[in-house]
Amino acid sequence: MDREVIIPMTAHRPLLDVRDLEVAYEAKGGMFRKRMTTVVKGVSFHIAPGETYGLVGESGSGKSTTGRAILRLADIAGGTVTFDGTDVGAMGSRTPLSYRRDVQAVYQDPGASLNPRHRVGRAVTDALKRHGIGDRASRRAKALEVFEQVGLTAAHLDRFPSEMSGGQLQRVAIARALVLEPRLVICDEAVSALDLSTQSQIINLLMDLQKESGVSYLFITHDLGVVRHISHRVGVLKLGELVEENTTDALFEAPQHEYTRSLLAASPSSSPEGRDERRAARQQRRVAVPSALRQAS
Amino acid sequence: MTTSTVGPAAASAPAARQASGIRQAWGRLRHQPVTLAAIITVAIIVLIAAFAPLIAPYAPGETDFTAVLAGPSAEHPLGTDDFGHDILSQLIYAARTALVVGVGSVFVAMLIGVPMGLILGYKGGWYDRIGSRVMDIADAMPGIMIGFVVIAILGRGTLILIFAIGLIFSMNFARMVRAITLTERKKLYVESAHVSGLRNRQIVFGQVLPNLVGPLAVQGAVFLGNAIKVEAALSFLGLGLPDDQPSWGGMLRVAAEHQVDHPWMALPPGIAIVVTVLALNLLGDGINDALSGARTTRKQRKKARALAPSLADVEKARQSAEARETATDAAQAATASVIPATASALITTPLHPETVLAVRDMRIVADRPDGEVVPLVTDLSLTVGRGEIMGLLGESGSGKSMLAKSILGLLPAGVRVESGSVELAGEELVGRTERQLRSIRGKKLGVVFQNPQANLSPVHTVGRQLVDPLRVHHGMSKKAARDQAADLLDMVGVKDAANRLDQYPHQFSGGMAQRVAIAIALAGDPDVLILDEATSALDVTTQSQVLDLVLDLRDKLGMAVINITHDLGVAAEACDRVAIMYHGELLEVNDVFSLFHEPHHPYTKALLASHPTADHKVDRLPTIADFVTADGEWIAR
Repeated sequence: MDREVIIPMTAHRPLLDVRDLEVAYEAKGGMFRKRMTTVVKGVSFHIAPGETYGLVGESGSGKSTTGRAILRLADIAGGTVTFDGTDVGAMGSRTPLSYRRDVQAVYQDPGASLNPRHRVGRAVTDALKRHGIGDRASRRAKALEVFEQVGLTAAHLDRFPSEMSGGQLQRVAIARALVLEPRLVICDEAVSALDLSTQSQIINLLMDLQKESGVSYLFITHDLGVVRHISHRVGVLKLGELVEENTTDALFEAPQHEYTRSLLAASPSSSPEGRDERRAARQQRRVAVPSALRQAS
Repeated sequence: MTTSTVGPAAASAPAARQASGIRQAWGRLRHQPVTLAAIITVAIIVLIAAFAPLIAPYAPGETDFTAVLAGPSAEHPLGTDDFGHDILSQLIYAARTALVVGVGSVFVAMLIGVPMGLILGYKGGWYDRIGSRVMDIADAMPGIMIGFVVIAILGRGTLILIFAIGLIFSMNFARMVRAITLTERKKLYVESAHVSGLRNRQIVFGQVLPNLVGPLAVQGAVFLGNAIKVEAALSFLGLGLPDDQPSWGGMLRVAAEHQVDHPWMALPPGIAIVVTVLALNLLGDGINDALSGARTTRKQRKKARALAPSLADVEKARQSAEARETATDAAQAATASVIPATASALITTPLHPETVLAVRDMRIVADRPDGEVVPLVTDLSLTVGRGEIMGLLGESGSGKSMLAKSILGLLPAGVRVESGSVELAGEELVGRTERQLRSIRGKKLGVVFQNPQANLSPVHTVGRQLVDPLRVHHGMSKKAARDQAADLLDMVGVKDAANRLDQYPHQFSGGMAQRVAIAIALAGDPDVLILDEATSALDVTTQSQVLDLVLDLRDKLGMAVINITHDLGVAAEACDRVAIMYHGELLEVNDVFSLFHEPHHPYTKALLASHPTADHKVDRLPTIADFVTADGEWIAR
């Protein structure tokens, strides 16, 4: 059964609409001429309010770059990104503060995404201060409120990142993203570095928060198990191109594209049952489609 | 509902609260004797400078024309100079000058260099291109020449000297700050600050600058020494301070004029300069060492050797463990359902009956600097059969990697085996010297770590890295070793193996590099291959290829494999038995099929339930908390 999205009747247009997105990076080498490498090639998808869209692919597939382009951390070379009717590509060099409030990010490595020299509470209060919310005391109160919302306590506010576990740090990163009451959160491998027991807690937390606030997630990951669990719809990226898109259950039960099938075949199972057959099938697939796999490795 | 004995007391609490980076660094600083001496020396010089009027027997300008160019005496312990100045008093007041000029010029250098470096590093683009050229030009000019020019234009005086020396060193600070900012700028916390909407100014000064404090402290201490040297040089040349102001350089100039008839005059200022500069440089190095983390000292290594169990101890422990094994075998026949982890850990399975690796009563501890001994692995026993793939599954901090490192004899500084035995193919490993272990490691053990590129040396061809162990451990000729190396690469699925021998690791993709690492691990024809999260960093398709390769190689070569992982899927796909570790304890050892269908321990049940997988889905993931009572006991259900 797919997770149901409750879309209000007023929402005729998607929250985020990505059309034919292209992102290019300057490649090293040329001294006088800029050589550009296109890493995202004509990707299109949309995300409805309250929806989780999973973007899966292997390293080099352009999934993180897509997220960075939406966050305006990578330049859009072609196509359009529209957020709530506004063209994100046409915003100019200064990103409007409202966009910085509406769209937030949670990254893979919670340790790296927090300043090692700042107490973690400051990550939250700094964001509030920049957006002109409250005075010193009320910002701290608000920080505590959001810390409690993600399962932390007042004692955690004044800790340094080095004094906290990975799961706790990821909760801080989520608190920082949520305190501004965003409408879209880009989760870039947000649970991939966490231990299994912590991972399930954070996944549950993200899903609970979505239920409460109706926030949308773009969930970028290489972990098909996580994506199956959290997403309403899934897109599969391969070498910068979106090769398949479908509702989560349809994609996992009846994958259409050969690449999706090989990804699913390679994904470790939840049970050892039938593993010899799977191993034999993989062996056969490798003989049958060696080129696709060689590109992937 | 019953509760078992092993409580997950620490499951909800975070890992032991660590001191923050600065505090840790200070702790290490205090344990470096040379640095401590440098700190004391600098402190003494500062005190002398600060209380000069109280210490010095004479005022700075006071002359005694009855004793000109006199040697040491009761009135003048270090003698007098050509004006009858007391040299000891001059020396003391000159320390004040040296510190004022030194600290002042480092301050000026930071004031110019730090913002410049921050802006160039953060802004990049044209700012950086032009700014970097300016730094290059400034660096190409001898520093002392810049000093000459500034003094020639502005004249002599303390403030001008401070500015001149500050200018000389400002470019070094700018260069260093720029380099660090370039790397910091790419870090996620800067990106996160962007996403929060922070302004560039807030990011540069609020987020990046605090991370520069450590390197700036190191550079500051070293440049303080250099600034004092430059001040002495300029004053020696008569370009620095006005002649009436006491300075070590000025004293050297006077001494130089009288070096034939009064050679001792050069000694007091000379020694003062050397001692001060040396102390500041050592202090800088000390801060650097302290900030860059703990290092094994000889004392620590000696202590670890002294505390390591001797072979005799190990032998005794093993015999008692073996006696227990026979006892549990009998007891096991009696008790039916639940086999305790320690018992099932000590037996081999009918499929792989020959024991190749036996770990018995292993206890690994960490020695904290404050003398506390923290257990990392407690009384762990595990037996691996020849040809068996044993999965070692646990979360970070469970001790699974420490166990593997203890088998390899590669425990990090401050961690040691307190007691226990590791028997590999009939040979005891605990209590061996490093040299004995080295030959055993190469021939009987192979290891592959997580990061494929870190497994390989970037400066040698993969051929060299394969050939070397073959020649060392098997005494092969160069030609034979090269042929064997090509065969090994071919065996792990590297196409065109003979030609790729001459390539460097960076020319291999992650999956291929990991295959090469496996080939190197297999070069010694080991009895046991240890994979320490060897597939965790790989993409799923690459991971499945490498796991399939390991299975193929095991079927072909018959070595045992210890596969350390945090991924249940990896255990399900590619392990025969699985050992579950939690907080340094072995909770369960089970056949992989039984483990997934009838897990014994509540923790294993919790792990299995909370694992999101691609082949089925649940409405809500259970978490560890669902398997623990309020008192911190495991719920068996």
